[in-house]
Amino acid sequence: MNDLIRNAETINKLLSRYGVKFGIYKNGEFREQLFPFDPIPRIIGNDEFSYLEKGLRQRVDALNCFLSDIYGKKQIVKDRVIPEEFIFSAKGFLVPCDGVTPPKGIYSHISGIDLVQSKDNNWYVLEDNLRVPSGASYPMIARELQRRSAPDAFTKNDVIDNRNYADLLKEVMDHVNTGGINVILSPGRYNAAFFEHSYLAEKTGAVLTTGKDIVCENDNLYYIDYNGKKQRVGAVYRRISDEYLDPMTFYEESVIGIPHIFEAYRKGNAALLNAPGNGVADDKGIYYFVPKMIKYYLGEEAILMNAPTYLPYYEKDMQYVLDNFDILVIKDVAEAGGYGVVFGSSLTAEKKSEFIALLKAEPRRFIAQEVIDFYDLDILDENGTKVPRKADLRAFVLTGRTTKVWASGLTRFSRNPDSFIVNSSQGGGFKDTWVLSR
Amino acid sequence: MGIITIDKSDHLFWLGRYTERVYTTLKDYFKSADLMIDSDPDYYKVLCRKIGIADVYGSSGAFKRKYAFDETNPNSIISSLNRAYDNAIVMRDYIGTETMAYIQLAIDDIKNAENSNSTIADLMLVIDHILAFWGCVNDGIDDEQIRNIIKLGKGIERLDLYLSLEKPAHEVQMVYKRMKGFLSKAKLRYDESVLYTMDNMLSSPDFSYDNVKNLLRKLILS
Repeated sequence: MNDLIRNAETINKLLSRYGVKFGIYKNGEFREQLFPFDPIPRIIGNDEFSYLEKGLRQRVDALNCFLSDIYGKKQIVKDRVIPEEFIFSAKGFLVPCDGVTPPKGIYSHISGIDLVQSKDNNWYVLEDNLRVPSGASYPMIARELQRRSAPDAFTKNDVIDNRNYADLLKEVMDHVNTGGINVILSPGRYNAAFFEHSYLAEKTGAVLTTGKDIVCENDNLYYIDYNGKKQRVGAVYRRISDEYLDPMTFYEESVIGIPHIFEAYRKGNAALLNAPGNGVADDKGIYYFVPKMIKYYLGEEAILMNAPTYLPYYEKDMQYVLDNFDILVIKDVAEAGGYGVVFGSSLTAEKKSEFIALLKAEPRRFIAQEVIDFYDLDILDENGTKVPRKADLRAFVLTGRTTKVWASGLTRFSRNPDSFIVNSSQGGGFKDTWVLSR
Repeated sequence: MGIITIDKSDHLFWLGRYTERVYTTLKDYFKSADLMIDSDPDYYKVLCRKIGIADVYGSSGAFKRKYAFDETNPNSIISSLNRAYDNAIVMRDYIGTETMAYIQLAIDDIKNAENSNSTIADLMLVIDHILAFWGCVNDGIDDEQIRNIIKLGKGIERLDLYLSLEKPAHEVQMVYKRMKGFLSKAKLRYDESVLYTMDNMLSSPDFSYDNVKNLLRKLILS
């Protein structure tokens, strides 16, 4: 471990050398920033990982069943397990997707499940990300560089090699491919995650495109080369949000989408990873119902726990939230990236009464959660001293022929000692996640 | 891999051009800096005229700083390097992370040189990393067409600059010959009649630099 700490500066220099950056817009200006890397890995033992793996597979399988049901028979609503207003008022429920079955029936191919570990060592799922979860490329390249700079650390510890992520991703793309090449569709150079798009294209052998070179003809997608020759496209790993994907179906002013791509997908002529419309399943309001989904679709008890969550939509929960406002964290279901998160204890009396009025007026818009006392992870501060900081883990679950959990993940930490917010866009850093083979 | 679209060919071509622009102009910048020590303090004015940029510098000291490091000046060396990076970053899947890294390292070098006490000596590291970039292009890019589009950009830029900088005729002829080698392997559309005329012109030792330069601009078809 000391080798890793000693070489921290070398790793950060190498990350800079390889352009491991993320983009950020500040005051209307685009800037690329290095994603600060901490050399002390999060270590997950083999037994613990087996438990997480089972729980994550179960959760993602249930979420895929839910998506198939919601855009199909909607039995879970008919059986009153989830109130219908939670489905149809969810921003992520897309009417054009109703009745559409994706190739091989898979909706969420790449799922990013955010977990935290509490001080009593329990793991809790904080959030499901089933649209365009990002972040796998950072631990991939960091591991590559750490193995070079401190090989002994890996010789002495039985760490499962995590550099197979690109193989797992390619396997999924190939499985759902309808005949043709795999492409990664990126909004372009000025997207926050462009490094990841280009790195995954390089590592999976997929073609990176901003869509300008793709046309849809007779409900098929084609990639047009320099000489005008068309190559059929069979799978599109799109890193563009649903609303911008196709101006003919969704947001008509989108200039980064591909006109008619949805039609090619609807007819089964191209796979879209992840399927459009998944936002209904990772809605923060729907999150509350995931353990119920697991029971409903799989007939099993949920292995992984949700953070204790209350829906102000239910009268009983609203009363609890009002009675315990100061010890809860309230989240706006429409927000992401660490935004729209309010800690009850942080509000002044005036702000609190304003917020409660809003909560009462729009109960469906919010969820409330108990504040989990995170298990802190050590990071090195600017002086090289170990200090504890809040951290989460984004686990990546890939669904193709089977559902697999990547034996690694993105551990993000807050650099601010008083903050629970770990998002890179808000100054957080990342560390490698070791899964031990013993 | 290996499916080249119009957009991608454009990025590869300009990656080659901008990288070469940095390399050749930096070498001439070193030469100019040397001349300005004692032989001709105003030599930068000649260089500006030759490469066709406005003399907005006013003094040799300002030229040395701004021509190398001013990111707001589109003619500066750092601006060319930034444009090379812009073209490289969107081609990571074709040229590879390792190859791209040398452009990033050259940018780091030029930024470090700006704040150093031995600016010109430190700028030599930029040359080192550009040469390493070319080595990596040769060694790490298996696809012949991709490799040759980048080299064609390099060849055309070098020829253009050699003509502007009024390099000796035999050097221009040599650069032209090398560029032609890349042209056939890059498989981009070009005007054969222009090439034919350039061949004829450059077979004579007293060719017109301006005429060749004008023809060169018409060679690659968009």
